Amino acid sequence: MRVTEKMMFQAGQVQTGAARERLEKALGEVTSGKRFVHPSDDPAGSGLLVTAKAAQQRHAAIDQSVGRAADELNFAEGVVGEVSNLVQRGRELAMQLGSGQYGASDRSNAAKEVDGLFNSLVGLMNSEVGGRYIFGGTQDGSLPFDTNGNYVGDANGRQIEIAPGVLQTVSLRADVGIKGVGGGTDVMQVFRDLSTAMRANDVPGIEAALSGLDNSLTQVSSLRTDAGSALSILQTSSEVASLNRHQMTIAVANISEVDLAEAASKMALASTALQAALSATANSFKLSLIDKL
Amino acid sequence: MADLLAILTQGANGLSAHRAAAQTAAHNIQNVNTEGYSRQRVELEAMPPEYLRTNAYAGMGVTVGAITQARDAFLERQIPASMSATSQYNAESQTLRSVVALNPETPGGLSDAMNSFYSDLRSLGQNPSQPALRAAVVGSARNLARSFNRAAEGISDAQAGIDARIAADVQEANDLGARVAALNGQIVRSRATGGEPNDLLDERRKASDRLSALLGATPIPDSEGNISMALPGGMVFVSSQKAATLSTAPDPAKPGFLAVQVTKLGSNTPQLIANGSLGGAVRGYLDARDVALQGSRDSLDALAFDFAETLNTQHQAGFDGNGNPGAALFAVGALPAGTAATISVDAALAADNRLFAASGSAAGVPGDSSNVLALVATERTVLSGGNTPAASLASIIATFGSRSRESNARADQESAIATTLQGLRESVAGVSLDEELIAMTKAQRAFDAVSKVIQTADSMLDTLMNLR
Repeated sequence: MRVTEKMMFQAGQVQTGAARERLEKALGEVTSGKRFVHPSDDPAGSGLLVTAKAAQQRHAAIDQSVGRAADELNFAEGVVGEVSNLVQRGRELAMQLGSGQYGASDRSNAAKEVDGLFNSLVGLMNSEVGGRYIFGGTQDGSLPFDTNGNYVGDANGRQIEIAPGVLQTVSLRADVGIKGVGGGTDVMQVFRDLSTAMRANDVPGIEAALSGLDNSLTQVSSLRTDAGSALSILQTSSEVASLNRHQMTIAVANISEVDLAEAASKMALASTALQAALSATANSFKLSLIDKL
Repeated sequence: MADLLAILTQGANGLSAHRAAAQTAAHNIQNVNTEGYSRQRVELEAMPPEYLRTNAYAGMGVTVGAITQARDAFLERQIPASMSATSQYNAESQTLRSVVALNPETPGGLSDAMNSFYSDLRSLGQNPSQPALRAAVVGSARNLARSFNRAAEGISDAQAGIDARIAADVQEANDLGARVAALNGQIVRSRATGGEPNDLLDERRKASDRLSALLGATPIPDSEGNISMALPGGMVFVSSQKAATLSTAPDPAKPGFLAVQVTKLGSNTPQLIANGSLGGAVRGYLDARDVALQGSRDSLDALAFDFAETLNTQHQAGFDGNGNPGAALFAVGALPAGTAATISVDAALAADNRLFAASGSAAGVPGDSSNVLALVATERTVLSGGNTPAASLASIIATFGSRSRESNARADQESAIATTLQGLRESVAGVSLDEELIAMTKAQRAFDAVSKVIQTADSMLDTLMNLR
């Protein structure tokens, strides 16, 4: 085949250009750490990356909201624990002052402590986390209990998504657990009854309140158990969401990120190829009759 | 009988012939880098001999028979189609490659915006009465709408840029068509006076090659030496020494975009040309604009519309922070067309995030998040295209990427074929400096020798003149 100078120059231009392009691409991969930039670099990978990133962020968001709900529920569980202590103290007072060795003035003094316990109970049940009252159901913008212990929240629980499409109740029903809606004991009323009985030196009334406090203790324990169960579910969900997020992070990396060792090796290869192309091209240009005549 | 004076005349002819050979070699050398130039060759011929009375023929020297070009008609027939295909796929590929609106890794792109929107919805679902979280959701909805706007703008900007290129290419094609027609005239006239107008042929081939690259036009030679140029749809763009005129005009079928039209020879009325009747770079640009980019834009519009409708329906099923039924979350038109470019968050909601309908009932305000959770569930809703929102977006990106990659691959393939054909043409028609230097030296040596002949004849004449 007849070879002209133009063919040699064009071949040199094309070959060195292609070698430089390969080096540029390899360099881009090493410096950015990304396998592709434009969808045409890897159409399937580009599409997969969108869904994988969506899944990654979905699990991250679930993990985050589960974490926040768990923090809130932990706080609520602590509050219920304090309520349990108050009920326990009320029960001790009822047992102590229900015996015959105490007189009216003792019971009247004890009534003041019971009133204090009642106020503490109201205060605890009006606890606020992040600007909202956590025991008021969905009515979390205002105090769920008034000063008389009446419940002004609603009967709705709050739910969050703990896995894609799976909802979990993460609020405690104070109307059930404290006010005894649905056939339970009204803990607030038991304290008020105990206080009244103490003031009235009404021993049978104190004994009746003691019975109510026993039921209250069981009821509050049940509320605490609900919190514990929900926390356990949240804990598991958080672990699953965290694991899923981790797996999706790996998936995203596998789809879009380069293997640095491989990329560095490709870059070294491309660099060598460019040097060889440049050297061969430069040498081929030296051979001309122009220099010999 | 041959005489000494005849030798001097022959010598003059010989000098002229070898000077022509040197001149042609010099012409070739000077055009070594001229695009489209075909090397020329001097064909030396012996002059007709003189009959001598001794029944012999005496040679009369040398003359230039012709100056021809080294060309391969077989290769040259294949090159226009190859140039057309290469330009078409290169134009499409480079155009699509320059569109960044659908890059999956672009920070703050549509994919990120959609993910952030659902993440913020989930946060709000955990604490719907928190004003900061409501503001975050409304903000990310606004960002999502803007991301749709930006992606649509990126695509429509690319389409508008293509129109500018098409208009420029059409103008260049008109100039080239007129040039080919004018060169046809010059070539026919030159041939009529005898001889081959080699440089005009090169210039015409260069113009016709470029026309093939721009429009996919095929040269068709006739017996008179003209070439006509026919477009892929069969329409004649250049006929002998006349050329039709191309122009661009708003496309009635594609509002906002240009169509190519032709004013045929002998007509004053421009007619629209279908994309399929064109080739070359213009066809590549039209395909990029009307197939890959318009397809992505339509799909993006459909996604934005379906997404907004789905979210709006669910948002309207809820109750806002004032206990009123929710309004639309996104403002969109009645039809999908243009939705991606115009979608926005409802103006009232954007101004007051209490209007976000987080609650599933009026009584549940402010702490009920059931409608937020229902809005989160739209992430798994299958839209009219048969996919979830994220999968729809993935499909749009992958489809665009596939089309772009396909045009890249075709461009590479056609470029390789074109490079091979052009290499083969160059092998036949290209100038080799080594060859031309040798030819130049050969002509110089012959010139020197003929000069010696003249000198010798002169000496012989001198001898005769001095006889006593």
